[in-house]
Amino acid sequence: MSKGFRQSQAFLHTWSGLLLGWILFLVFVAGTIAFWREGLNRWMRPEIARVEQPMRVLAGSQAFLASKAPDAKSWIIPVATERSTGAQVFWVPQPKPGEERGRRGRRGRSDTQALIGADGQVAQPRETRGGEFFYRFHFDLHYMPVIWARWLVGFATMMMLVAIVSGIVTHKKIFKDFFTLRRAKGQRSWLDGHNATAALALPFHLMITYTGLVTLMALLMPWAVVANYTDERTVFATLFPTASVVERTGRPAPLIDLRLIAAHAERRLGAPASFIEVSDPGDAAARVSVSQSASSMLSSRTPRLTYDGVTGRLVWQSPPPGAAAETAGAMIGLHAGRFAGNGGRWLYFLCGIAGTLMIASGLVLWTVKRRERLTDPARPHFGFRFVERLNVAVIGGFPLGIACFFWANRLLPATLRGRADWEIHALFIAWAAAALTAFVVRPARVWPSLFAATGWLLVALPAYDIVATDHGMFTSLAIGDLMIGGIGATIVVFGIGFILLARRVARYQPNPKRVRKAAAAATSATMLEVAE
Amino acid sequence: MTAGDAHARARWARRGDIALRVVAAVPLAYATASLWAMAIARLLPGDRAEASVTAALIALVLCAFAAMWAFAARSGWRAIWTLVAAAGIAAMTTWVSIDATGRL
Repeated sequence: MSKGFRQSQAFLHTWSGLLLGWILFLVFVAGTIAFWREGLNRWMRPEIARVEQPMRVLAGSQAFLASKAPDAKSWIIPVATERSTGAQVFWVPQPKPGEERGRRGRRGRSDTQALIGADGQVAQPRETRGGEFFYRFHFDLHYMPVIWARWLVGFATMMMLVAIVSGIVTHKKIFKDFFTLRRAKGQRSWLDGHNATAALALPFHLMITYTGLVTLMALLMPWAVVANYTDERTVFATLFPTASVVERTGRPAPLIDLRLIAAHAERRLGAPASFIEVSDPGDAAARVSVSQSASSMLSSRTPRLTYDGVTGRLVWQSPPPGAAAETAGAMIGLHAGRFAGNGGRWLYFLCGIAGTLMIASGLVLWTVKRRERLTDPARPHFGFRFVERLNVAVIGGFPLGIACFFWANRLLPATLRGRADWEIHALFIAWAAAALTAFVVRPARVWPSLFAATGWLLVALPAYDIVATDHGMFTSLAIGDLMIGGIGATIVVFGIGFILLARRVARYQPNPKRVRKAAAAATSATMLEVAE
Repeated sequence: MTAGDAHARARWARRGDIALRVVAAVPLAYATASLWAMAIARLLPGDRAEASVTAALIALVLCAFAAMWAFAARSGWRAIWTLVAAAGIAAMTTWVSIDATGRL
């Protein structure tokens, strides 16, 4: 590899990393948290009882839907597990004459969905998006049309892939970097930290970035399909086959007990079921489709079975996917990690943290490296100040917003209208305040204050749960609910981490001798600044 | 001409070069990868859906390498014309193939 090639890639690494780094930081933080989305869904609805008998929830779901929406077009019933809050069921009403069958558009409507709790009855916990917020924010962001958000995230992800590959090329001694961490050496330490978090989890970073692109592939790279098909729907029908649709007969017929179908499907699949979709319930043409749970296999393209809803006879099963479709499915599965048990989730979570630290340290490194070359360190140029402050606003501000999101979940009154939205507004209001502060006050003062505020807010949260509610961390651990107790404990650990970080940052002084020496050198070579 | 002028000129030349590379690395890299996605989807034998999925999986990697090439090439102009040429080959292949056998 020539020197020129490596230099060009170092340039590309620096700038693609910097310009997209802020979005990637948000995407990584949200994605990392989202590995615990089911746990957070429960943790943010503490009044909900833990599911112990999933079949009881299923029976309750069927009974509820049969009385609430007996002649719906279809019902969708997630199969509850011990990790879930219950079953968030929803139904699609019969289309009015002349109305498009828009299932997707209805998904978010609260008048066609309900949560069935552990006892099989409708549960009405506090309104919250729970862990789903982080999952959606990871690729849909917020306050903007999802298609724009996905293009933006997709573009950032592509640049991340570029930054990773060019970063690998830039580092001659990647394995040495793996073991090197020189502490308290200014720029050297930041670089070591960046390299260590990058190299340590490099296979993960490469995997998660490329597979992330694959999850958005239909949006980002539709051209391969366009080349072979005049109508995109044809390829989707080939890749995601479903049982042929049966016309509604109008003859009423009782729907079979869904527990029998679920049990049969689970025996046949040899794995738990995750979704049950009933079309035309109560009609003689009723069909029940069962999908295998993604927790049981790597690929996200899980097999499906379709039953006659009256007789319970198996009428269709999904054919095994082709090699390419299976590969793409496995990549999406690898990205989302739904197959992973708790141990695997921890591994994903820790690697996600390493990725977050890699991005954050890379962003900070940009300023650390340039600070030593500033012509006048007391009055840096606009670009430097902008990056420095945006770093504070994003790296310091977003975690504070998340801490406020959790607090809003605990403190907002249950009767508040649009409560779930206000939890999210709380995140962005706190973040906006932090960002404003970052642009007004000196970074050296804002960094530690934001970290400290985040830290104390996080530490106080489980403490509040213990003191003010009857579902504190220790109560959860005592009844063997490791997930809820574990989330409380993890939040405390993060809080302490942020407090220690705040102390460390408050003591941080850019090495004055190096700065002076570098400044003297820089006056004679202002060009350098532009060069990189 | 003073040394300052030469400096300023070199600076602007460098900025122009970087602007060309950015054009090559973002819209052009995407266009090239997309056209190659089409060409590969046409050229791969077997099931059409499978060929399309494979081609898209490959094209995502191609896009990253095209962006890297935009900065590795000797000059910005060179980055642009090489990518345009690569895109042209893919476009021709796709066009000829669709013209010959049509789409589903």
